[in-house]
Formats: sequence, C-alpha cells, structure tokens
Amino acid sequence: METFLSIPFLIFLPLVISLLLISPLFTKNEIIVRRFSKGVFTFHFLYTLLMLACFDKTNPYVSEIHFFGLDWVQSLGIKFIFQIDSVSMILTVLTSFVFLLASIASKFNIRENQKFYYSMLFLLMSATLGIFTSADMFVFFLFWELELIPAYFLIGGWQTFRSEEESSKAKASAVKFVLFTFLGSMVMLLGILLLHYYNYVSNGILSASFSDIIDSPIPAAIQNLIAICLIIGFGVKLPIIPLHSWLPDAHTNAPTPVSMVLAGILLKTGAYGIYRFNYETMPESFRVLAPYLAVLALINIIYTALVAYAQVDIKRIIAYSSISNMGLILLGMCAYNQIGFSASVFHMVAHALVTCGLFMIAGIVYLRCKDRNINTLSGIAAYMPRLFGFSVIIVLASIGVPLFAPFISEILTIIGALNSELSELSKMAALFSLPLLIISSCYMLKFLHKGFFGEGKEEYAKINDITVHEFVVLGAVLAGLIIFGLYPEAILGMI
Amino acid sequence: MLNDIFNILLPHMCLGGFIILLLVLSIVLHPRLYRYARLVAAVGIVSSIVLLSTVQTEPQYFGFQNSIMSDSYTLLFDFMILLCGFFVAILSRNLVKTIKGNAYTFYAILLTALFAGINIVSANDFLTLFVSIELLSFSTYFLIAARKGYYSKEASFKYLLTSAVSTGIFLFGVSYMYGITGSLNLSDIYEIITNQESSLMYSISSIMIILGIISKLAVFPFANWIIDVYKGSETSILAFLSTVPKLAVFAIVCRLLVFPLNNSFELTFVIAIAALFTAFWANTYAIREKNVKVILACSASANASYALLTASLVSVYNLSTVIFYLICYVFMNIAAFAFLNIYGDKNSMNVEDFQGLFTKNHGLVGAYAISIIALAGIPITSGFIAKIYLFSAIANSGLIFVPFLLALLLLTVVALYYYLKILLPLFKECDKNENTTDLKAVFSQKFVLVSAAIITLIIGIYPEILIELCRLIAYNI
Repeated sequence: METFLSIPFLIFLPLVISLLLISPLFTKNEIIVRRFSKGVFTFHFLYTLLMLACFDKTNPYVSEIHFFGLDWVQSLGIKFIFQIDSVSMILTVLTSFVFLLASIASKFNIRENQKFYYSMLFLLMSATLGIFTSADMFVFFLFWELELIPAYFLIGGWQTFRSEEESSKAKASAVKFVLFTFLGSMVMLLGILLLHYYNYVSNGILSASFSDIIDSPIPAAIQNLIAICLIIGFGVKLPIIPLHSWLPDAHTNAPTPVSMVLAGILLKTGAYGIYRFNYETMPESFRVLAPYLAVLALINIIYTALVAYAQVDIKRIIAYSSISNMGLILLGMCAYNQIGFSASVFHMVAHALVTCGLFMIAGIVYLRCKDRNINTLSGIAAYMPRLFGFSVIIVLASIGVPLFAPFISEILTIIGALNSELSELSKMAALFSLPLLIISSCYMLKFLHKGFFGEGKEEYAKINDITVHEFVVLGAVLAGLIIFGLYPEAILGMI
Repeated sequence: MLNDIFNILLPHMCLGGFIILLLVLSIVLHPRLYRYARLVAAVGIVSSIVLLSTVQTEPQYFGFQNSIMSDSYTLLFDFMILLCGFFVAILSRNLVKTIKGNAYTFYAILLTALFAGINIVSANDFLTLFVSIELLSFSTYFLIAARKGYYSKEASFKYLLTSAVSTGIFLFGVSYMYGITGSLNLSDIYEIITNQESSLMYSISSIMIILGIISKLAVFPFANWIIDVYKGSETSILAFLSTVPKLAVFAIVCRLLVFPLNNSFELTFVIAIAALFTAFWANTYAIREKNVKVILACSASANASYALLTASLVSVYNLSTVIFYLICYVFMNIAAFAFLNIYGDKNSMNVEDFQGLFTKNHGLVGAYAISIIALAGIPITSGFIAKIYLFSAIANSGLIFVPFLLALLLLTVVALYYYLKILLPLFKECDKNENTTDLKAVFSQKFVLVSAAIITLIIGIYPEILIELCRLIAYNI
C-alpha cells in the first residue's frame, strides 16, 4: 500500500493537470473541462484520504526529489524535500477538500473561460500543497511566491455578474492583494536569508531544510530579528492588524468559490508558516515574542469583530470575521503549550469549514437576489427555506454553539491561553478575548436576522431554492462541522 | 606579439577583420543589397564565438606587455557579450530597413561596439581600458542615432554629454592613481597597493574611477540619461544597450574592485549608497511612467544597482552571484526587447496600447510575460533564483548591510507594481470582434524571443549547472 503513496504525485498532479488544461491541445468544450476538473479534484481528495488512512504520526512521510542525482541548488544547500507530519497531513486533506468544494461551487458562478479558470485553480492548489508539505525554506518560499500568479487571476478574472464596475473593483483588489503579499514575502525573504546564513555560521551546515535549523545556536538578538521579519511576512497573509487591509477587498470582490479558497486555505498558510518557522524551528525566539503576539492577536479578535459589526455587505462581514478568527488561531499558538497548539490547528479546520459554508451562502444570496447589502435584503427565508435551514445551522456553528467544531476549538484555545506559562500577557489576552463570543454572535445574528427575516420583496418571488450542487457543498460543510464537533479526537488525537 | 595574437586575440582579430570587410562592402556594394549586411555581421559574430575556443585561459595569459589578459572569467564575459551581439544583430532587421544605404556601416559600428566590449573585459591596463571604453561609447552614440527622427539624435547627444563628463571623472581618478603608484597596469597597481597603507588620495581616486565607469550602468550620479536614451532609441538598439555595455562594465568593475581598488574602505560605502539611491530613484520614477520603454529603462537602472551593491561587498561568493544575476538578466532583457521589436516601433509604446494582445498572440505574449515575470522575480523563472542568490550574498556580508538589503527588498515590491502595469493590460479580455492587433513576426524575431524566454525558464527550473559554473569562474578570477 505504502508504495502507492507519493508526496510528489500529490503536489505535482494538480500542476500537471493545470498545464494540461491550459494547453491548446485540450478540448475547449466547457462542460467536459468542468467535469474533468471535478473528477480530478475528487480523485485527489480520495488520494489524500488514502494517505491519511495509512498515516502514522510517529513516522511522517518524507520524500526528496533529485535532479540528475544532485540537490536542486547545491551551492545554497537547497533541497527539493517534502515532509508530511501530522499538521501537514491535516492541512493537506483540508486543502484537497476545500478545493473540491470550490470546484463544485464553481458551476453557477464561473460561466466563461473555464479552461483558464480551472487551470489557475489547479495551479493554486499545487502551490498551497507545496507550502504545506515542503521541508526546505527556499522551496517553501518558491511555492509561496508561485501562489501569486493564480491568486491574481482568480481574484480579478471572473465576476458573478461581469459588470464593468464589478470587474474594475476586482482587478484593483487583486493588484492590492499581490502587492501586499509580495511586500510581506520580501520581508520574509530577508528573514529566510538571514536564518540561512546564521545557521550556516553557527551550525556549520549549509542547508535550508527545517530539520537542520531546529534549535540552531544562533545568537538571541539575531534570532529575534529573524523571527520578527518572518512574522511580518506571515502576518500579511494571516493577517495580523495593521497588515490586513488587503483582505476585505480581495475576499469581497473575488467570485464565491475563490473566496472560499482564499478564506479557507490561503489564510491558513500564514498560520502554518508561523507554526513551521517560528513555533517549531526557532522556539527560543518564539517564547520571547509570543506574549506580544498574543496581544496583537487580541487586538485582531476584538477590533475586527467590532468592524465586522459595522459592515453592511455580507461578504465583508464574513471577511472581517475571518480576520477575527485568525486572531484566535494565533492566540492559541502563542499559548505555547499542547492544548493551545492543538486547539489552534483544530480551529484552522473548523474555521475553514465554517467560512466555506458562509461564503457559499453569501454567494447563493448574491446570485439570486443580485444584492449583498443587509439593509436592503430582507425576508429571503420565505422564498428559500432550505437555504435558510442551512444558514441558521452554519451561523450558529460559527458563533460557537456546542455540538459544532468551532465550539470545541474556541474553548480549547482560551483554556490553552489561560494555562500559558510564558507570561501573564497571554492570560490577559485570553480573558479579554471572551467578549469575542458575544460580538461575533451579534454580527452573525444581525446578518441572519436582517437578511432572512422580515417582509419578503416582490422581486424575490421568482427565485428558486438551492440546487443539488449547492446542497452538496453546504451538506458537506455541515457534516464536517458536526462530525468534528461530536468527535474532536479525530483531529486532536493526531497532533 | 604574433604569439599573443594566436594565443588570446583571435576572436578580437576576427571581429576586426569583419569590421573592415563590412566597411569595404559598404563602399563597393549597391545599397539594394543591404539585406546581406545582417548575414555578414551574424557570420562575423558567430565565427568570433567559435574562435573563443582557441583562447588560452589556463593559466592566465598576459599579452602586449601585460596590457591585455585572458582567463576563464574574461572568456565567459566575452561569450555572453558576443551572444548578446548576435541576438541584437539578427533583431535589427526592421531598423536596417529604414536606413538601407547605411546598412553595412551600421553593422560595422555594431561590431565595433562588440569589439570594444570584449576589449574592456580583457583590459589589464588603465590605458587600454580607457581606449576601449571610449570606443564603446562612440559606437553607441551612432547606434542610438541610427533610428530616423529627431528624438534619437537628441538621445544620442545627451548620452554623449553624460559620457564625456563621466570619462573626465574617470581620467581624473586614473591620473591620481598614476600619481600614487607610478603605474597604469592593474596587476602592478594591485601589488603596490597591497603593500601600502590605504590613503585618502587612494580612496578618492578609486571612487572617481568607479563613478566614472558606472555611468554606463546608469547609476547615480550619472543616471538621468537612461530615460531619454531609452525613449529615443530603436528597440533592437535597446536590446544592445541593456546588455552589452552592462556586461562589459560589470566585468571590469568587478575585476577592479577585487584587485587594484580593494584597499579602500570608503569605496564600498560610496558605491553602496550610490546604488541604493539609484534603486530608489529608478523604482519610484517608474511608478507614474506610462511608456513601456521608460519603465524598462528604470528597471535596467534598478537591476544594475542591485548587482552593483552586491559587487561592492567584495567576496568570491558575491562575485559568483553577480555573474549569475547578469547572465539571467541579459536573457530576460533580450526577450523583453525582442517582443517590443515585434510589436513595432511605429506604434507608441504606452502600456494601454498593449491591451488584449494575449487574445490573438498566445505564444509571443506568453514568452514576453515570462520575461517580465522573471524581471519581477517570481518563480519558476530564472529571475526568482537570481534574486534569492544575489540577495543572499548581501545577507551574508554582515549585519551592517541588513538595512540596505531591507531597502532593496522593499523597492522590489515597488518594482512589482510597475511590472504589473506592463503585464496586466496584455491579458485584458477583449471581445473577439474588436480588432485587436495581430502581431506579425518574422522567424529571426521569434527565434530570439522564444529562445531567450526558454533559457529563462530552464535556468529557473534547474539552475544548478549555471551556478556551479559561476562559482568556478569566480574562484578563478
């Protein structure tokens, strides 16, 4: 069985499919393209499930690619090396799952130029999988930068209604996304280059793989400098306030499936980067910086929750709530103990599911009612009872009602932060983040209340309820939320 | 002397022979036969490249009373210069069409420029260096002015003025150097300097020498010419301007910094600050600019300053990164200018004019996009590796240069903005019915564009062989 499992296949299958789709030889028939892509996504998801089934947490998958028997760039010690440990495994399965959902959700949102769209989607998938599995800093950075190209096209390329205004807005926010991410990644590159060099000076090994850098005896001051550079880099993606301003625009103006991918997966790459570089590879400096990060996380949680309450666009509400939730993930990590860390990984999964569901709902509403403003929307519940049912459950899940996954992760995060031994700051942050639960229920329930209840409008009479595709997406999200809510040990046991 | 010629100077002699041949043909042949000029020039360059194999590199060879030298370092740069010259020669088809009668003279000047370029690389004497630099400058004035119209003449004149001033400063520095050491030979100066304490006079003279030479790279204080010159020149000449003088000047600047001028502590900081200032100026200037040529001019100036900053922190590792960066960089630039050449010089070069070109010309625009993406430093192109490799050299040079590195990295974000400004209009969706331009390219243009883009991609995917070569050459300098 083990012989069939290969990490390069996992990462480069989407890349190959992407090149295949974009090549002029492949058929131009849009239906075939869509079904073929969906088939590949399904196959990929099943393949990751197979890997998960054979996964042994004491014995991570490792794989190295040689070029003509040599490392990739020997003179810099860069190896094309991949490793899947438990966190990578969870995020890999999650990535595959979210991309599958996004491809199903694409049917009604993406109607033109599908060849290019699916090609970019596969390229983005390849890049994110590369980020989650690479065990070498420079390979990580390569995939991190590679992500920019598909992300630009996906955010700016396809809009639900293809109006001129919508399109120019989306293009502008795509440029903003690319510039912000590039800014972060350049600061991160500074950190990586310094880490690479000082590891060589103090360890004597010219290598960029994480296993050679862990606990390397770099002087504390330089280590802190490197850690700050890296955190700024990841902080743009995570995002940490004040580096967040690209996110609401990008998430709002992207088409629905892309928003799902952005919020579900791309934000997690920032959190994963902090885990992989700071938490695991340079624990010394992370222990020093964690209390301050916890305060930043608290600001993230409270400030963006308040901002979300003030929004009227439903996609913007969800986007800000994402930032708030990413603050929670960061807070868990800053606790620097087992509970906090597993809670933060668990919350990555839970938040990915919730945010996929919420963006799907927002997308469905926008597609049917051509409107996203909660002040003008009202009374959808009467016309779309099934959507209403799903919305109520997913919104309740998102505000942390028991039985659902976010409840477990939020509680565990706060317990973890309260038990933190690093500093009193983390405990204070945990205590002050409790109001989040109240504010988040305020804005989520406001969304539900204003959008779905009240008097229905006449023009809604013709709209139909959710279709099979949308039902499948929402159902899958719901199933995931309930399964992990009832049996959190499935994830917590792996870490 | 005959020995010297047969040992190291056969490529130079071959180029010289073809220059004379072209000049003779320009008198003898009827202007109607202008088409064959390109062929003759290309044959001359190719045979010169072939003759590079006869050059002795191991051990180092010094000829003509030590004024010319040759080793693997000069060989690599000679090869790159001649290769770029070959690409430029076959790209210049459209330009030559407009100056039919002078086609043979044009190619004679181009070959003279290449001759001067490879002479600069192998100079081991300030006098040889000065003469070669002047030869390169003079042929460049004519090449810039070759395009029809007023702007090219203006550009040429501006370049002449800047070059004249910078040459004056260079000569002034050389005269001081002669005063201190009593010699013009680089090897002799190196020997004398290593046994001496560094003096203020020496630092001033080194700074003047370097500032005089690097005006060719459009680095502060002589940077402004590049905007007008790029605006006024024809695209194939731009492919020449952004590669050949750059390679030649970097080759000699690196050698000067490693040998005769390595004793001055102040020089490093003067170059680093000049480079930083240039990077800042060029990147911010390009933000508001709409003309693609000017944006690429700023990019050329900025890229030169990154490499120069690295070169100023002298070490073997840094030298290898600079060589690697230059090799990657010239291929990107040649691809970019080859596309502009296909696009045609008659059209204005504003970024909006390129709208929707991708819809009808997938291959050509794709290759162009690869070159621009590589300039921005995004994987999987050679630009990504080159950027990491170059900046790793600065990171390895000590904590004092970390602020410089941070500034450069932040400026590359600004650079990404203007590269996006070039790229994005290409992919704008246009209706099929709208008459977007259908680009017509002849084989030679397609060949240059596609081969340069493919080399860019290949280096990006598997850089190890080239990096290894650069390290070997940096060790052998």
